[in-house]
Amino acid sequence: MDEHKIILKLRGISKTFENKKGEKHEVVREISLTVFENEFVVFLGPGHCGKSVIINMIEGLLTPTSGEIELKGEPIHGSDPRIGMVFQTTALMPWKTVMENTELGLKFAGVPKSERRAAARKYLDLVGLKGFEKAYPGQLSGGMKQRVGIARAYAYNPEILLMDEPFGALDAQTRYAMEEELIRIWQQQKRTVVFVTNNIEEAVFLSDRIVLFSECPARIKTIYQNPLPRPRDPISPEFMEFRQMVSAQTDLSL
Amino acid sequence: MVKGKKREGVKAGNTKQILNFALSACSILLLLWVWFSVSAVNSRLIPTPAVTWERFLLLLEKPVMRVSFGGHILISLRRILLALIASWIIGISFGVFIGWNKKMNALLGSVFELIRPIPPLAWIPLITICFGIGEFPKLLIVFIGAVMPVIINSRAGMQGIEQIYLDVGIAFNGTQAQVLKEIAIPAALPVIFAGIRTSTSVAWSVVLAAEMIGANAGVGFLVVRGMNGDDMALVVVAMITIGVIGALLSVLTSWMERLVCPWMNIK
Amino acid sequence: MQTTTNRPVKVQVDHLTKRFGDLLVLDDISFQIRKGEFVCVVGPTGCGKTTFLNLLTKLIEPTSGKLLIDGEPADPRRHNLAFVFQEPSCYPWKTVEENIRFGLELKKKSREETETKTEEMLRLLGMERFRKAYPNELSVSSTQRIIIGRAFAMEPDLLLMDEPYAQMDLKLRFYLEDEVLRLWREIGTTVVFITHNVEEAVYLSEKILILSNKPATIKETITNNLPYPRDIASEEFISLRRRVTEQIKWW
Repeated sequence: MDEHKIILKLRGISKTFENKKGEKHEVVREISLTVFENEFVVFLGPGHCGKSVIINMIEGLLTPTSGEIELKGEPIHGSDPRIGMVFQTTALMPWKTVMENTELGLKFAGVPKSERRAAARKYLDLVGLKGFEKAYPGQLSGGMKQRVGIARAYAYNPEILLMDEPFGALDAQTRYAMEEELIRIWQQQKRTVVFVTNNIEEAVFLSDRIVLFSECPARIKTIYQNPLPRPRDPISPEFMEFRQMVSAQTDLSL
Repeated sequence: MVKGKKREGVKAGNTKQILNFALSACSILLLLWVWFSVSAVNSRLIPTPAVTWERFLLLLEKPVMRVSFGGHILISLRRILLALIASWIIGISFGVFIGWNKKMNALLGSVFELIRPIPPLAWIPLITICFGIGEFPKLLIVFIGAVMPVIINSRAGMQGIEQIYLDVGIAFNGTQAQVLKEIAIPAALPVIFAGIRTSTSVAWSVVLAAEMIGANAGVGFLVVRGMNGDDMALVVVAMITIGVIGALLSVLTSWMERLVCPWMNIK
Repeated sequence: MQTTTNRPVKVQVDHLTKRFGDLLVLDDISFQIRKGEFVCVVGPTGCGKTTFLNLLTKLIEPTSGKLLIDGEPADPRRHNLAFVFQEPSCYPWKTVEENIRFGLELKKKSREETETKTEEMLRLLGMERFRKAYPNELSVSSTQRIIIGRAFAMEPDLLLMDEPYAQMDLKLRFYLEDEVLRLWREIGTTVVFITHNVEEAVYLSEKILILSNKPATIKETITNNLPYPRDIASEEFISLRRRVTEQIKWW
């Protein structure tokens, strides 16, 4: 991580939704944050607070009610091709093969077929899905589907990768496996990653920095610099100690 | 041990298949038995299976109104085919259009809701006044019947697309046309296809009704001809033909669906 | 507290085997559970845990082998088996109180006993205040707590729990794990708790059954003697957790 190069800046962004009756519901309040180049930042927070809303605003799927988002010093509006997203498992098109799913972004961008196939193949190999190019998502396991999601985001070659609870639907073991896999990929192909989760263990395992959010409306509660060297061992005392420290700051919501 | 188990498994599968086959054979036999006994009691009104079979053989040799049996079937099929193709092209385009564009749905949706409940046969008088009794009015009636389910399903399919698929399109900066072609229409396709299946069965029943009202060829015409000529055996032959062809058409559309949506058969 | 070994055997599983056609899913599984024992079952992803659970609940019949409860073949009509699944399933048209009472009514307990037990469970869960609430007014975790409470209140011969806390965050999970231990101690139910999470298994169990990859066999049975309440950061805890993790790690 390059401490000095700022890539993304959130300047006091807020989001308020209004329902049909005109009632206002504030989900995000005054978020200001700086993200550095090639940093792995994890947004950690309880179940239904506005973490996902924040990254949807960064992606351009939602517009902030107030505040600004800057990419490399310039404000962005709408969806920017330099920002890619890994969605939850269901976001693969069941009617497209693994290859067609992976190359979708490049196809939209008008990249010629041979070129986009080569790029897609490169990242499918990287995530360990060589030989599955012609399979449909319905034929893959949950972990494999999310590998396609990661390859698809990488193939688009963004500078920032947003990940919205990509492993939320996986069982505990597959989750550990995918976390290790994601770090391996990230170390080979460094990008700035903003990763959303409500799982403390996942946050501690993955992050360079953890941004802890409060309950609705989402506000930044604390920011932790992750002290653990990589590779990390989730059963080590240091890991558990840091996990405990972060956990103590979260709210118990029965 | 393993081999023994395997044979047992295969046998269990076979038994199940045989049982299912036997059950459907039973129900057909039951139907035949009802036919036998009813026609035996009252053979004046309802022809026996034997008489019907003879009438069928005669029909193969001797044309009705100078058109062979196969000719009548082809005429009916040609009518529904033309009307269906038109209804699919127009119905899918229109349904997708109003399903995709909320303003257009607001503008045209209510008119469509008003027209939709009118049964296709209720259009016959109006169409006859405007277009006479030629081939075109028949096609038009079939078209009206067939296009409704296509429009309804295409619109519902477009409105029911999961938001996350569309979000993927926006995230990858797809244009409106790209998102429509690569994401929205395939996502809606299974629902659209359900409409196509319905339209096919509707078209088949409407064409027969239309032929019974004013035609001199087609399977529906055979029914009328039989009725007017006190030839009940011909009526029954035509009815069976209608049933068999209807069933075949439904098999055909399922097969088409598998061809167009291969991902639907996974698992 | 009684040590595990001098309690009578509650559940006896002998050479349980299950095939689906050609596919061998469970291969010759034998183990026993003593009365009031808390057993956790762990195994690698896709090892056939669901089949294992379905056999214990008698949802499916084994290809060969026996399952005995109190020395008799397990029979859902005679034995009282209770389940808790990953997704909470309360009756949305019944209040918290009615949901808990319903399980007891099904068991045809006397009116008096039903009332006492319902009250006791509400107290154990600390949910007296919410007795008139409907499940939809509560969070997912509270709904799950009601179901778990209901299952314990029925005092089943065997309570099977299939990853009930898989979707809960860490702090909540710790809270709920402590709660399930409290209920178990108070009521003395025999529990089989299936989980993917080794930390959870080591925290809860008196005994851990480790399943192998498909076809599942019992790879190892570990007696977990760590004294309650357990300290997840203690050396013994960590070494046991590591030992179990090594056995199931496939990634």
